[in-house]
Amino acid sequence: MIEKPFKHGADFEHLRKVLMRETTKGPVPIIELFVDVDVMAEITGMDIPVDKATEFIRNFGWSNDPEVVLAGSRIMDLSLAFSQAMGYDYVTLTLLMPLPRTQSQLKENPQQGGKIRAWQNEHRGIITTRKEFEEFPWPAIDQIDVFPLEYAASKMPPGMKVVSFWTGIFEDLKLIMGIENMAIKSIKEPDLLNDILEILTVLAEAGVGMAAAHPATGAVLYADDMGFKTGTMLSPKFMREYVIPRHKRIADACHKHDKPFIFHSCGHVDALMKDLIEVVGIDARHSFQDNIEPVENVYRKYHDRISIVGGVDVDLLARATPAQVRARTRQILEACAPGGGFCMGTGNSVTNYCKIENYYAMLDETRKWNEEHG
Amino acid sequence: MDKNELLNNIRENVVTGMDDKVRDECRQGLEAGIPADEILDKALLKGMNEVGDLFSKGEYFIPELLVAERAMKAGIAVLEPELVKKPTQSLGKIVIGTVVGDLHDIGKNLAAIMISAAGFEVVDLGTDVSAEKFIEAVQRNKAKAVGLSALLTTTMINMGPIIKALRRAGFKGPIIIGGAPITQEYADNIGADFYASDAVDGARKLKLTITK
Repeated sequence: MIEKPFKHGADFEHLRKVLMRETTKGPVPIIELFVDVDVMAEITGMDIPVDKATEFIRNFGWSNDPEVVLAGSRIMDLSLAFSQAMGYDYVTLTLLMPLPRTQSQLKENPQQGGKIRAWQNEHRGIITTRKEFEEFPWPAIDQIDVFPLEYAASKMPPGMKVVSFWTGIFEDLKLIMGIENMAIKSIKEPDLLNDILEILTVLAEAGVGMAAAHPATGAVLYADDMGFKTGTMLSPKFMREYVIPRHKRIADACHKHDKPFIFHSCGHVDALMKDLIEVVGIDARHSFQDNIEPVENVYRKYHDRISIVGGVDVDLLARATPAQVRARTRQILEACAPGGGFCMGTGNSVTNYCKIENYYAMLDETRKWNEEHG
Repeated sequence: MDKNELLNNIRENVVTGMDDKVRDECRQGLEAGIPADEILDKALLKGMNEVGDLFSKGEYFIPELLVAERAMKAGIAVLEPELVKKPTQSLGKIVIGTVVGDLHDIGKNLAAIMISAAGFEVVDLGTDVSAEKFIEAVQRNKAKAVGLSALLTTTMINMGPIIKALRRAGFKGPIIIGGAPITQEYADNIGADFYASDAVDGARKLKLTITK
């Protein structure tokens, strides 16, 4: 029998120490990148229009539909209620910024009883030429809004902090240009990519700096998918020239306020790990997939320099049995927990196609581990 | 410039994605009397296969594949009027598509590029493709093999029923699957013949199987 919450009371200070590898003692904390709105709604029992809230998130708060904006405003309450119900040490929120991106298409998945997933146009973005770049309605720095942090500060229980999420510059580059167009332009017109990346970096430095400076923020989670299954999307050479030095500027904006900088990237990015650690100065790396590289391997290679966050493959959470999830969770804990600098969690996010009983099994096995090793 | 030098230049310009140069040099080749199928085989496809090798070795990445494909296509567009007069010997038709419920197609499109470069004719059914559409296309095109793509855990589960439906409909050729969550173990479990870790791997495995 599994009882919620899996842990009583938020203790962000312990989570911070684990992220910064300042302790090998105490419970293994749990972190997620995202938890889908419908999962949070199901667990908390909160009545929220999932399709409208998902549209708000996937389109980064951009909508002319009042119902979408209203649903978006309730996501903060939902996230706070969910974090408290599940015993997380943090709530994930993002600053608002009116940056246009390629809009997602929402589609019901009949294989999931009609649950909604968002699909990004991968081919043609909203900047395809120099002219479109020059006419693009870039937001001003003073349009970055810290309201979610102010709101959370007034509502969070003692011990809880915000993990401030920021969409990475390479991610935004893809969202603005479309992956295919961006890839081709990286060879044919690299100066265009360079100019877009520079504007995104100035915005990210400001946004991450504002988030990190805010007392409600405990850490920054910077998400920049750079890889696919067998390698980086663009060459490591390109990434080292155009992206990694900018990641450093953004990490510096976070570190200026002594907040941990958690770096999320999907895919096979081992070719860039040395750069992320030595040049960017990341404190923690998130996102793992067993058929790319199991989290234990990554932990063995890098745990003496950064902390490792999450690791139970989302595919396992979607398709396996709770017993299999428990076995895999324990296997990961046995490999990664004793040395410290490790947080449990899914390999990516708690998506609406994960079985909730499997998500609970991962949490409950971690709870058991923590009690056995307390 | 002699024939071999020109073919070599075209090949090199496919490898480096110089579509304008490939277009011009293909025109020069035809004017010099080089048969279109020879330019196709010894320059365009040879170049694209070299790109696949570089991708496998980790020296090339997605952009290099995409610009090389553009260069190859620019050359094929020049050769096409001649090619249709004397159809080239294709290794056969391969039907590919992203399975029902899934709208991703970059991986599938890269696979189509490399399968074409390996000498097959690709019948690309696009995304969100049902079992019925695969069966219809396989029968209509007398396909030698089928490639199924899926990016998500939730959509890869649709591969098994499609494979079963294809077999029930009498398709006996190889079925290859690929996509982010796919593993060899999963391919074995659902009755696929092969698993492709990426586009180049898929094209190689198809060629090895069909030409052996």
